[in-house]
Amino acid sequence: MAADPRHGPAPDLWDPLVRTSHWGIALVVLANAVFTKGGSSVHVAIGWIGIALLVLRLAWGLVGAPEARFGAFPPQPRAAIAHLRSLWSGKPGHYRSHNPAGAMMVYALWISLAVVIATGLAMTTDSPATIADREAIVTSGDWSTLAGTSDAGDDDAQDEHARKWVKEVHEMAANLMLALAVLHVAGVMVESRALRRNLVMPMIFGRRK
Amino acid sequence: MANAKGRQSAALTAFLIIQTVAAAFFVGDAVGDLIADPTGPHSIYEVFVALALCLGIVFGIVALRRTLVRMRDQEAAIATASGALAQVIDSQFSDWALTPAERDVAFLALKGLDVAEIAGLRGAASGTVRAQLTRIYQKSGVSGRAQFAAFFVEDLLGAALVPT
Repeated sequence: MAADPRHGPAPDLWDPLVRTSHWGIALVVLANAVFTKGGSSVHVAIGWIGIALLVLRLAWGLVGAPEARFGAFPPQPRAAIAHLRSLWSGKPGHYRSHNPAGAMMVYALWISLAVVIATGLAMTTDSPATIADREAIVTSGDWSTLAGTSDAGDDDAQDEHARKWVKEVHEMAANLMLALAVLHVAGVMVESRALRRNLVMPMIFGRRK
Repeated sequence: MANAKGRQSAALTAFLIIQTVAAAFFVGDAVGDLIADPTGPHSIYEVFVALALCLGIVFGIVALRRTLVRMRDQEAAIATASGALAQVIDSQFSDWALTPAERDVAFLALKGLDVAEIAGLRGAASGTVRAQLTRIYQKSGVSGRAQFAAFFVEDLLGAALVPT
């Protein structure tokens, strides 16, 4: 492990925490972007699972397995561009962790996820359980009990304006993340072809022996 | 062994994920209570539990990392050991003065291939391979195939393979 962690053979199989958090976050993003209703208890609960996965992955980036640590794939925009050029010329280098372009993608996805989470948290003052309780009240039809909760009306105009702004950022960052995810999948496909190496298997079960 | 470790790291990961998700929900709830009543006994109790949960996560991360590093070390050790075994076999073949062709056949025999398979691989007649095997057993002074294979297993069990 004394050698430069950036070079050497790429993993045949990512460690279990990298794999689980990767697919977990993918599921969370897909579920909340497509299937759940914004502001619902399910949407918020899934968002909180996303927080847990992101925090765990970031902690793993500090102290985890060698190729999962930030040091193994530092953000280097210039190296990323050079890597994309080398892809074009057909002679991409091999990296032990993410390649420089992939690393930039990872950080871009994490940052947009963090923005989505932060704005999402700013919009919800209650835990998913509290929201679920409120939804149950609404469904039952007895709205009188809602008076006096944090969601009760009487917002002033300035508050309303701020909330709209936060909501806008939340949606923009979410759309940006989806666009980046599409680009990420395309990048994996191009890279797999250029390296003649299946880059998807290491993220699932590893190379078949 | 490697499989058991693999299962252990998978279980640790599952445990870590569940614990982190639980901690996120608990801390989120606790923060709300803390804002509402910062010094109440309920808040203090929740902060205590939240800290314990986070500590558990830290220990889980350390344990997972240790397991993964140990797995990798074991794989490296096995690779070294099998390299050393190949060396042991090679020098033993030299001691027995096996010809290059006999070496190949002996290696394939050790790998567990039968006469027909060895003949097929080498593009030779089975009779030739059978004759070569007989020569090999003669040179090594064993009675037959089983004893020939056992020769190296005994070596593996008896002596240290990796030079220390």
